[in-house]
Amino acid sequence: MNTVEISHLSKKFENLIAIDDLSLNIESGKITGLIGADASGKTTLIRLIIGMLKAEEGKVSVLGLDPVKQKSQLNEKIGYMPQKFGLYEDLTVIENLKLYADLKKVPHDFEKLLQFTSLENFQNRLAGALSGGMKQKLGLACVLLGSPDFLLLDEPSVGVDPISRRDLMKMVRDLISPATTVLWSTAYLDEAHSFDTAVVMDKGKVIYEGRPSDLAKTSAEFEEKVIELMGGYQKSESRIAANYVYSHLDEVEYPVVAENLEKRYGNFYAVRDNSFNIKKGEIFGLLGPNGAGKSTSFKMMCGLLRPTSGTARIMGIDIQKDPEKARANLGYMAQKFSLYESITVDQNLNFFAEIYGIPKSDVKNRVNEILEIFDFGDLKKQRTGDLPLGFKQKLSMACALIHNPPILFLDEPTSGVDVLTRRDFWNHMTSLAKKGITILVTTHFMDEAEYCDRISLFYKGETIAIGTPSELKKQVSAKTMENAFIKLIQESDKK
Amino acid sequence: MIKTLQKIIALIKKEFIIIWKDPKSRGIIIVLPLVQLILFAHAVTMEVKNIDIVVVDQDNSLQSRELISKFEYSPQFRKIYKVSNIEEMQQKIDQQDVVMGLYINNDFSTNVTSRIPTDVLIITDGRQTNSAAIIAGYASQIIMSYNQEIAPQNGIQINVTTRNWYNPNLEYRWFTLTVVVAMLAVVMTILLTALSIAREREMGTFDQLIVSPLSSLDILIGKTIPPLVIAMILLCLMSVAVTQFFDVPFNGSVILFLVSMLVSLLSIVGVGLFISSISSTQQQAVLGCITFMMPAMLLSGFISPVENMPVFLQYFTYINPMRFFMVLTRGIFLKGMNISDVSINLVPLVLIATITLSTAAWTFKRQRG
Amino acid sequence: MKILRALVRKEFLQITRDPSSIIISFVLPLISILIFMYGINMDSVRVTFGIKNDDNSAEVAQLVNSFRNSNYIDSIISDNMNDLTQKIMRSRIKGIVLIPNDFSKKLETGNSADLMVITDGSEVNTANYLQNYVIQISNQWLSTGKYAYSMTPSVVIPVVRAWYNQELNGYFFVLPGSIAITMTMIGILLTALVVAREWERGTMEALLNTNVTKMHIVLGKYIPYFCLGMTSMIFNLILCIGVFQVPFCGSYFVLLFVSSLFLFSSMGIGLLISTKLKNQFLASQISLGIGFLPALLLSGLVFPINSMPKIIQHLTKILPPRHYITFIESEFMAGTVWPVVFKCSALLIIIGALLFVAVYKNTDMRLPND
Repeated sequence: MNTVEISHLSKKFENLIAIDDLSLNIESGKITGLIGADASGKTTLIRLIIGMLKAEEGKVSVLGLDPVKQKSQLNEKIGYMPQKFGLYEDLTVIENLKLYADLKKVPHDFEKLLQFTSLENFQNRLAGALSGGMKQKLGLACVLLGSPDFLLLDEPSVGVDPISRRDLMKMVRDLISPATTVLWSTAYLDEAHSFDTAVVMDKGKVIYEGRPSDLAKTSAEFEEKVIELMGGYQKSESRIAANYVYSHLDEVEYPVVAENLEKRYGNFYAVRDNSFNIKKGEIFGLLGPNGAGKSTSFKMMCGLLRPTSGTARIMGIDIQKDPEKARANLGYMAQKFSLYESITVDQNLNFFAEIYGIPKSDVKNRVNEILEIFDFGDLKKQRTGDLPLGFKQKLSMACALIHNPPILFLDEPTSGVDVLTRRDFWNHMTSLAKKGITILVTTHFMDEAEYCDRISLFYKGETIAIGTPSELKKQVSAKTMENAFIKLIQESDKK
Repeated sequence: MIKTLQKIIALIKKEFIIIWKDPKSRGIIIVLPLVQLILFAHAVTMEVKNIDIVVVDQDNSLQSRELISKFEYSPQFRKIYKVSNIEEMQQKIDQQDVVMGLYINNDFSTNVTSRIPTDVLIITDGRQTNSAAIIAGYASQIIMSYNQEIAPQNGIQINVTTRNWYNPNLEYRWFTLTVVVAMLAVVMTILLTALSIAREREMGTFDQLIVSPLSSLDILIGKTIPPLVIAMILLCLMSVAVTQFFDVPFNGSVILFLVSMLVSLLSIVGVGLFISSISSTQQQAVLGCITFMMPAMLLSGFISPVENMPVFLQYFTYINPMRFFMVLTRGIFLKGMNISDVSINLVPLVLIATITLSTAAWTFKRQRG
Repeated sequence: MKILRALVRKEFLQITRDPSSIIISFVLPLISILIFMYGINMDSVRVTFGIKNDDNSAEVAQLVNSFRNSNYIDSIISDNMNDLTQKIMRSRIKGIVLIPNDFSKKLETGNSADLMVITDGSEVNTANYLQNYVIQISNQWLSTGKYAYSMTPSVVIPVVRAWYNQELNGYFFVLPGSIAITMTMIGILLTALVVAREWERGTMEALLNTNVTKMHIVLGKYIPYFCLGMTSMIFNLILCIGVFQVPFCGSYFVLLFVSSLFLFSSMGIGLLISTKLKNQFLASQISLGIGFLPALLLSGLVFPINSMPKIIQHLTKILPPRHYITFIESEFMAGTVWPVVFKCSALLIIIGALLFVAVYKNTDMRLPND
């Protein structure tokens, strides 16, 4: 029996084809994973299934209903968690739960849910004050109210720490009935590997539909197979790294130094006594759950936050004392690639080239060079906001590297991009590091920690472990970074 | 030095592109003020016209009818309702069909022929507090001119000749339009500047600017110049429109005008930037703008003169840039103010601009961390 | 019903936890009424003008004294025309009265004398006022002074009475009217950003996939902000009647009823902007643009509507503040005049209902196709 039956579905947004003649059946009672790059059409597909969008062509039938014409009937049977799940941040945990319970016309029976989400002690805390993992758990709880027949989750665990991710998965598996159908869209391939069915999408089409175990036995292999399905990854020499010229004259042994950094808000220590030295050409990762202090530490290092005490040095220069000189040495990739969305690609590049001090006469050449190396081709005059996410990331990288800085600061540089783009990105990063660029990166993806030379693990404002990935794994006898991470945190909790 | 200039120019270029690219934004900046200008130009007048009145003529004589016909021929009065008693007059006034009533007693003509002083009652609707006195004034004048016809003064009277400098015909429009132009430019400027930083913060692009080698000063200059330029252009466009299409004279020097406008707008930009630096969301920035604009406009001398305000509020207006801005606009357009007159008004503006801009810069630098 | 209650409760919780809503609803009206109370004074005009008197007879000296015999009007006596001229240029004085040296002589010989008044025409109101003042005082002086006997007495004399607000006290007019301006701003401001914010934060998308209907969403916005707005309105009225002691001759019930109709329509404007635009940046610009200035200038508070060109007069009929001001001035100063009440209420209901329908129609239950 099929919960969802789709035939020959097509959806266009202006000039962009989001869904391309897609046909798919989703079996009832099973957990189906939806995998794909960001521009592959996953979110659009989900929105079409629940009737939030109308297709141009094709038929969709969900639980025997037409999602567009019979949306109100459909609403009673589904639970939908959109990507940007809006919890009401001004409302407490319990108030959010009560609201959604009333909206779904179900009684206020929250004991089980509160237990499962470990939020019993936080009932009266404002949702906005919860950590990222807790927010997602609360969101999931709200969606599960009313025991829907069909559960749709659009990347529910994106950006969440591994412990919370496991909790989320457990929550779903334990709280649904055998008859519930689940459609779970994710970028985490290990999650996808644990589902009953996997649907892989690329460029608006389904390129694989079947049992994950049929494709690969382990999740590591699974990732490789999915990459193959997407067209495969040809590891080639990074032209970006090849083009990069290390031009900094002073030789500094430790280009990035944190000395006893501390950030205090009243009595609360967001970061306590944080110190590390990064060698030239090293890739250093800051890892940890949300709220652990890694973002705060990162922001102090690049001058976005003023430390309550301690010093951050860039190429030996104290960033608080001589900010302009220090910052000229930095290339910065912001989280969610904050670029100016309403202007074109080349306008963004021109802008960053000019404010980083590239002489006027050289700007045009440099921009053209970058356009070529990064393979932007005819996208030069494209509005930045219309670019697919992978290209936005590339543009963000290009703007960060345009002035050939000796140091790169990357804040969650691969959030939201697909596995292919991620591979490609790290290829560039490792090649750049070989050429002498020092890289500081924060990330949620534990597998990306393997690309780093050394890692600092943050938990509750302090560094609980620092070393190479293999050292850390050995320390707690873990096979994967993810397990190592979980064990280290559990050990720290015991103390 | 040149490098800093290049960086600032890059910032300015980017701001312009962003403002210009979005058609909605373009519309709001150009179309909205111009439409408002035209609308207000026609609407805004303190002249009282189209006055409808109701008349009770208990006398119904040649004389009373003559008096009433004077109202009929007067350009300010429009409809004349004739009713038979005071209750009906009350009704008409209460329902606001008319704003004034005229009551002529039944002994009117008798008294007039015998030269016995007789009253004609003018009743105004006090609810129209603004215009009641003016309407009564017009009606009184008509009655007095009738009086002049039947009992002419024998020669002893005082002729008052009035010369209205700068605006011989007391055209309201000349007064209000110069002021409306200033107000629209100010609304535009403050919205643009206040929202600019708040928007970048909400979008996340502001971090990029902070992390770059731009100094706080560079960023502030880069954010100041585009709104300033746009507002100047808008001001010039509106000034041209006002002089060409509404026949408002321009008696001053163009250079003085441009300089005054620049300084006035700079002080407003300072306020806008300050609001921007203390707002973390766009909603807060909008609130900040309103909190400034409402008192600034209402207490600028536009609706009622500064001299009428209680003394403590008058001192308050010395820090209100709008007050000086309006004096300057009116002064240059209509009075042809010269450099010394202009300078007196520019000094406080320069002070305000310096204070607001440096406070904005200081606040911004402190937050930057 | 349960759903509606839940939505309304949520909105209330959000309002109470967000300080900006409280500031808008209470602080802004307080500031506004204070400004209108002390800053705007349309009656007695404080004017300073100059007098150049070339006639040194005793009678004319008395005339000059009568010019100076006012609490509100100051005068400077000077012989220096250049100095006086410069003062006008710099707005230090608003006019000059010139008395020629043959003034009293002409009157003695039974002729008419001339008086010249120069005004600063750039301030039209003041110019008019000054001219009227000079005429009034000089005529008064003439009819009560030395020359009175040789004047022909008037036969037809105009007598002026004002019904309602006999003293033509400006405050009685401006303060209730200011409530209209303030409430327009509040009504629009509170609601203009509310819907846009839900879209931008993603909470709207989650809501739309539960059992809510369009009506739930629309009412869920109208009801809480209406309650907040009414609280603010009552606060305003208490300030006006209780604190500033503006006399109120009408019925409190009618006042509250029509005020709620007005609030309903103002909110409609804000909600429509918010629903249509879904973007806080644009919503705020437009609501400021069409909220404040038109309410101030086209509602009849400052400039009489009858004097505006016909087209614009008709245009003002769609502005809720216009009808509310007509009503409130009447209710305060004249008590309940049923025809006025009916007319204003009807128009406010129509405008409010049309806006409600527009908001309903524009509420997207689906994502816009862009």
